[in-house]
Amino acid sequence: MKPFSFSREPDLTGLLRDKTATAAFLGGGTNLVDLMKKGIAEPDRILYTQGSGLSSTLQVASSGMTLGALMTNSAVAANPEIQQQFPLLSKAILAGASPQIRNMATTAGNLLQRTRCPYFYNTSLPCNKREPGTGCSALQGTEQRMNAIIGWSQTCVAVHPSDMCVALAALDAQVLTESKTGGLKTIPFDQFHRLPETDATRDSNLPTDAVITGVQLAANRFARHSAYVKVRDRTSYAFALVSVAAALELDGSTIRQVRLASGGVAHKPWRWTAAEQYLTGKKAAPDQFAKAADLVLAETKPLAHNGFKKSLLRGAFITALEEATQGA
Amino acid sequence: MGSTDKQIAPPQGRVEAWYKVTGSGKYAAEYNIPELAHAVFVTSTIPAGRIKQLHLDDARQVGGVIDIISHLHRPEVSVMLDDKAFKESKFTFKLFHTDEVYFKGQPIAMVIAETPEEAAYAASLVTADYSESAFNTDFENAWSKTTLKTGKDRGNPDASPANAIVVDEVYQIPAEVHHPMEMHATIAQWTSDNKLRLWDKTQGVNMVQKTMSTLMGIPKENIEVTAEFMGGGFGSGLRVWANTLAATLGSKQTGRPVKLVLTRPQMFSLSGYRPQSRQRVKLTADASGKLTGLIHQSWTGTSVYEDFGEDVTRISRLIYGAENLRTESGDVKLNLSTPTYMRAPGECSGAFGLESAMDELSYKLKLDPVTLRMANISDQKHPDNGKPWSTHHLKDALNKGAQMIGWNDRNATPAQQTDGLWQVGYGMAVGMWNAGRSKASAAAVLHPDGSVTIQTAMTDIGTGTGTGMFNMAEATLGVPKDKLHIELGSSKLPPAPNQGGSTGLSSLSGAVIDACNSLQQKLAQLAAGTNKAYQTADPKQIRLGKTEISIAGKEGVSYRSLFAAANGEPIYAEVTSAPGTEKETWAFATSAAHFCKVRVHRHTGKVVVDRYVCVADGGRVVNEKAAANQVIGSVAGGIGMALMEERQVDHRLGSLVGDDLASYHFAVNADVPIVEVAFVGEPDTRLNPAGLKGLGEIGIIGAAPAITNAIYNATGKRHRDLPLTPDKTV
Repeated sequence: MKPFSFSREPDLTGLLRDKTATAAFLGGGTNLVDLMKKGIAEPDRILYTQGSGLSSTLQVASSGMTLGALMTNSAVAANPEIQQQFPLLSKAILAGASPQIRNMATTAGNLLQRTRCPYFYNTSLPCNKREPGTGCSALQGTEQRMNAIIGWSQTCVAVHPSDMCVALAALDAQVLTESKTGGLKTIPFDQFHRLPETDATRDSNLPTDAVITGVQLAANRFARHSAYVKVRDRTSYAFALVSVAAALELDGSTIRQVRLASGGVAHKPWRWTAAEQYLTGKKAAPDQFAKAADLVLAETKPLAHNGFKKSLLRGAFITALEEATQGA
Repeated sequence: MGSTDKQIAPPQGRVEAWYKVTGSGKYAAEYNIPELAHAVFVTSTIPAGRIKQLHLDDARQVGGVIDIISHLHRPEVSVMLDDKAFKESKFTFKLFHTDEVYFKGQPIAMVIAETPEEAAYAASLVTADYSESAFNTDFENAWSKTTLKTGKDRGNPDASPANAIVVDEVYQIPAEVHHPMEMHATIAQWTSDNKLRLWDKTQGVNMVQKTMSTLMGIPKENIEVTAEFMGGGFGSGLRVWANTLAATLGSKQTGRPVKLVLTRPQMFSLSGYRPQSRQRVKLTADASGKLTGLIHQSWTGTSVYEDFGEDVTRISRLIYGAENLRTESGDVKLNLSTPTYMRAPGECSGAFGLESAMDELSYKLKLDPVTLRMANISDQKHPDNGKPWSTHHLKDALNKGAQMIGWNDRNATPAQQTDGLWQVGYGMAVGMWNAGRSKASAAAVLHPDGSVTIQTAMTDIGTGTGTGMFNMAEATLGVPKDKLHIELGSSKLPPAPNQGGSTGLSSLSGAVIDACNSLQQKLAQLAAGTNKAYQTADPKQIRLGKTEISIAGKEGVSYRSLFAAANGEPIYAEVTSAPGTEKETWAFATSAAHFCKVRVHRHTGKVVVDRYVCVADGGRVVNEKAAANQVIGSVAGGIGMALMEERQVDHRLGSLVGDDLASYHFAVNADVPIVEVAFVGEPDTRLNPAGLKGLGEIGIIGAAPAITNAIYNATGKRHRDLPLTPDKTV
């Protein structure tokens, strides 16, 4: 590990003052420390966010809720208000990582974890995300099991690994940020994470001098009918091959509103807007789900060695919609 | 769990539990040695070629760096300069004695520094120029060019009788890794020019002594090896790996004690793995289900620098009595590191081929899979060498397992039983493993305070060897539990073989019981000086109490008077115990029947193992808790093998990818149901005095095919390539 300095800041001003492109925030450290041990992240300075005045609690208002940046994934998942109003978020978090990791991982850190790809994690291989211009080993690789089937580019085929973020994408969350030059800014969730296009080095649009202060969720009517289905190689502590978050607002058996998002498929949590539009106003029934699934699959473009994700995605998509229809 | 009547002592906690749980027990890398320096490997970034140049300047600039070892700068290991002597040393490759690169991840240099952080950082700055050669890591490109070695045919395996029912299929298993929690690690310290002290993660301290003696050219008595506690082994500690020699060379070079701990990614290449295998199994049966022919061919992966030679087909000479038989096996050379023994080497992989084929045959014959086994198991004699089994209870295990899982109530027709979106099925398989025993020594020591220590050099890799020794010594001597202590894992203790192959406790049992008897004999002689009644007594009847020894009906003799007669010195009895000629007459094996119930999700391919029953014959069960624990752990390994374990290699780049525990999936608790374990059989005292046959391997032999056979029963789809991840089962 490259030597670095470590500092605790007593307030947000101090935290923002010292945040440069080569400094890194440390929340729970569940991803950053791994990346540093592997020599993938080499910050010269660590700014410890605990004790800096960032919130670790949930603020509840009639219009919705705000998760503090330092609220742990475990605390969010176990929170009764979240479980009641946004059960999808709780389900998605509990489908991810392990209890030990969730106890440490923070809300802001979950958003800022790096995308995953086995080639990105092997520093002996070329990777545009680690070293721009060296090429993408995964693009022609024979081990593309954990790679993208949509939104990828010649530059990068990595996927965003978060389960929590899939739920936040489906719930149209807002990311609250602050920086010393830009002040307070709110970033809509679907604009927070990036696609690789020609630059894979950055996974989010958060400016390098900004910090996430919280994540806002507006009140909605999805609590009774939501589901998170994750297909993975083992039952716990495994990243999604594909996952689907489905949230429905039903009027009898008619779908008034629907949100559909996936993990394990792209460089960012992916919203299936065409399928959402198709299903709005339709009956919540297997034949409609199958037609929506066709729309989803038509958008995908698997790599040479991960075509199987299409059938898994179809299965997860239909299962999530059926479970959401049945209700909690 | 049944058959408690056959136990030597009732279940109890592990003797090492306190030390492991509190952290006071030390693993190899945990000893604090004054002046300790820390080493980190630099590994090759190409799969084949030669090192042209090493760039060390940046690494040397890092504060705290003491030295950098490489093929250009290291103490000479003269054995490495002589090809024949090197081969005999049984060491793996010419570490730091060649510029040749055989596989990606091969150590090409080692940085030694004052702290582990400095060593790791400096190691990350070392680069190399190579001249690269053509390479192949892809088993698929190479297996067909491999020449197979043929075993001795039985009858005429090429015969094709009329009206025969034939199954002829190919089964494949990817490479799997051991990855015990504790990383392979060594601390090496030269205490003089020709005396070496090693703290090493190993399954055999005497084996390390021997190999290192050959490599370093010093007598093995000059090498002291400690492996008091181990965080798992599964076979990865059955030979000396690069870390042990590298730390030794580093210490020689720097004059400091040197510690080297492999990283988790390095563990994927530098501590062995279960080789990838391809098997062809051809079964021929008559209409009644009697097996008439069996052909089993296997190809297993190895490195370009060593022939590992795992015999996957051996199991086809062990279970069934087919009249006509041929087995053939061969090594497929690849630019990857050398594999090694991993839990039930050979039989574990072989059982997937053989027991999958048996399942296929049962459906072709429209015969119950259990009935088909019953009709063909050779339960009177070893089917290959014809010797009578000393004990053999596989049919009992089948009957009991079938009853436990409710086998006869299942729907035998595939793809018939559903539960909502789940398809439900039942599967079974059997496994066998040759039971062995080696020469081993142990000592029983009585101290003046009445406490007893039982000692042996054997390591306890987590199997419960020490606890088994405790149980046997307690039963033989009657010594109070709080007065009995076990010492293991040091070459200063009485010599013992490796802890492996399910032979550990089998080998030790004779020595432990004999050492206890020998101690009793010495005590009888000493006691006879005080109390004449002990002259004629049977020493085996002597019990060791808190303050005195006694024999039922006779007055006790106090430790005070005994030790007065022994001049206050501990009374020491060491015994070596070895197998006799029993293997000339008898055949010995452990066996198990596996049954499970699985669910497969129609839309997502998710497989859930709902129930798992394993009934094993391991002879006498010395400690039921430890014995069941062995079986449960094995079954968890079998679930991993069936459903998720796969080492990934990018063959275009000749590189491992996903070489960490987030990407390589072992089964976790959520994948494993409560494993229902039962034991059948009887003490097999022809094998060893305790009558135990070993239980380390048998729980995994047959586990994977039991699960894949259940998936067939659930879905009607036959899978022959492991692991059955959701992309295959959806």
